[in-house]
Amino acid sequence: MKRILLWWAERALLVLVSVIVLFPIAWMFLTAFKSPRDAYSLSLNFTPTFNNFVTVFSHPWNLGDMVLNSVVVASVTVLIAVPCASLAAYSFSRFRVRGRKFLFFLVLSTQFIPAVVIVLPFFLMFRQLGLLDTRIALIIVNLAIVTPFVIWMIKGYIDAIPTDSEEAAMIDGASRLRVIWDIVLPVAAPGILTSAIFCFILTWNEFLFSLILTRRDAVTLPVGLVNFRTERGDLWELMSAAGVMITVPIFIMALLIQKHFTRGMTAGAVK
Amino acid sequence: MAEVRLVDVEKRYGGFLALPKQSLTIEEGEFLVLLGPSGCGKTTTMRMIAGLEEITSGDILIGGERVNDKPPKDRDIAMVFQNYGLYPHMTVQQNIAYPLKLRGVDRKAREARVRETAEKVELGALLHRRPSELSGGQRQRVALARAIVRTPKIFLMDEPLSNLDAKLRVSMRAELKHLHHELGVTTVYVTHDQMEAMTLASRVAVMREGRIVQLDTPKKIYSEPADLFVAGFIGSPSMNLVEGHITGGRFEAPGVSIPVAAAERGDVVLGIRPEDLELTTAEAPPIRGKLYALELTGEATLVTLREGATSICARGPAEFEAEIDAACALAPRPGARIHLFDKTTGQRIAA
Ligand SMILES: Nc1ncnc2c1ncn2[C@@H]1O[C@H](COP(=O)(O)OP(=O)(O)OP(=O)(O)O)[C@@H](O)[C@H]1O
Ligand SMILES: [Mg+2]
Repeated sequence: MKRILLWWAERALLVLVSVIVLFPIAWMFLTAFKSPRDAYSLSLNFTPTFNNFVTVFSHPWNLGDMVLNSVVVASVTVLIAVPCASLAAYSFSRFRVRGRKFLFFLVLSTQFIPAVVIVLPFFLMFRQLGLLDTRIALIIVNLAIVTPFVIWMIKGYIDAIPTDSEEAAMIDGASRLRVIWDIVLPVAAPGILTSAIFCFILTWNEFLFSLILTRRDAVTLPVGLVNFRTERGDLWELMSAAGVMITVPIFIMALLIQKHFTRGMTAGAVK
Repeated sequence: MAEVRLVDVEKRYGGFLALPKQSLTIEEGEFLVLLGPSGCGKTTTMRMIAGLEEITSGDILIGGERVNDKPPKDRDIAMVFQNYGLYPHMTVQQNIAYPLKLRGVDRKAREARVRETAEKVELGALLHRRPSELSGGQRQRVALARAIVRTPKIFLMDEPLSNLDAKLRVSMRAELKHLHHELGVTTVYVTHDQMEAMTLASRVAVMREGRIVQLDTPKKIYSEPADLFVAGFIGSPSMNLVEGHITGGRFEAPGVSIPVAAAERGDVVLGIRPEDLELTTAEAPPIRGKLYALELTGEATLVTLREGATSICARGPAEFEAEIDAACALAPRPGARIHLFDKTTGQRIAA
């Protein structure tokens, strides 16, 4: 009896939390398809329109440029961070070097520094280099933020792979790099892919640095949202449409992660 | 093919002394079996030869060349791991082919060779499975096939047949014996199966707590164990060991009085194998006691007697039958080997 009650309580709580979390997102999706007239109405009875999406992609909003900026910054960050982090993670996981633990702690400790503390030094640095309002600046900053985290994540996956197969490969005649390429990467692939998507999401959503370091040319989607707060008021329907543009790729990726998250590849390596 | 030499090799794990300083030479083309209780350092010895484990001090030479700083891939070794170390993301076919692939053997030759090897270990039908879809014994045979798919300088095999059923084990054993005869590759082999050790080995190294206590031909190890440990470890059922003393040319212990050719002394352990004893009806038998247990093994019956603290097992005829607790008598067979050991040092006393 008590167990059945608990079961129901658990379900009820899950539903409640889901509603609280999902409601604003659902509302945003609805608003994105409303005409300005309906935007403030609470009624669900409205004629859906694609006009908002057409508007945000045309002058003066030019959301297309921001989408491009975001895609370029996030993709390049992932393409650089994940390979580097994979090698670093492998080294941290497998090589018994003096001071390895301390070094790893140093790498991780960068994550404990609040972004607002380092945003000003970055700003001054990039001004000096003439890199303000460029994608390169954003990529560099995002690499600095994301790489330690990705190293930590991938190290977790590599730690979980038994070393037996690697040793077997070395005896079979493989060099260390060959072992990584032939054995470690394929076996850790689901984990690395998950980390890559995570890295993409972090970069995609990054707000503070983009806000401070860009003005016109390199503005990314999250910062672009701010444009919809005009002196004529907040344009909710446009902001929502832009919000949908930001959210949908993340949704798709989260679904992808979920599929890979639960799949283990190491089964059968040892007895 | 190459000779392997361990010179003054020592291995520590942190503070733990796994292998004390010792030397060992494995002759070219030899089949050396490492035998010893769990945790005595057999796997560690192999991993050091393979280059997977750094040695704390000493030198390892393969074919006369010092290989201390050579990575495993350059030592030209094939190894069967105790826990297989298969590649989980590759099929059986790819697993077995991997050493050939790394050596640039072209696809056609590779496939032919893999097929041939897979047949040898009776895996021909499973080439497209992944390791996770195989049974323990099948995985072990993949590990074996991956090692024997090419001809290296040295084979290292860490209990390669431990997970196979009795029948497959016998046929794989014959396969390995034939392979060694055919290729003559220097082989180091770990097993807990004495039958395997006896049938395969050119020499056996018996290890205890990291130390090699006896290194000799299987025959010598069996017939002249160097000390009490080897005497008790080799042979199944194991050798009877009875504590007692020697007076007037006879070994005396409760229920036991056997003539021996040794000087008078106390604190002696007499060893005699069950197959060297037979049931007797003589007037004054050398060994007397009450029947404690009867175990039929198929072709023989193991007869265990007790007298006080002494317990002695003999191999009797399969048709022998008697009541438990009945009085029984045993005598050494003609030509039986009687071993004497010093009780305190455990060393063999030369007859
Ligand atoms: N990485 C390690 N760190 C610390 N101690 C170790 C390590 N590897 C092995 N040992 C110790 O070294 C000793 C020898 O181990 P080894 O694996 O060589 O035994 P083994 O003879 O192969 O035993 P088994 O028959 O059970 O396989 C053991 O006491 C073990 O606890
Ligand atoms: Mg072992």
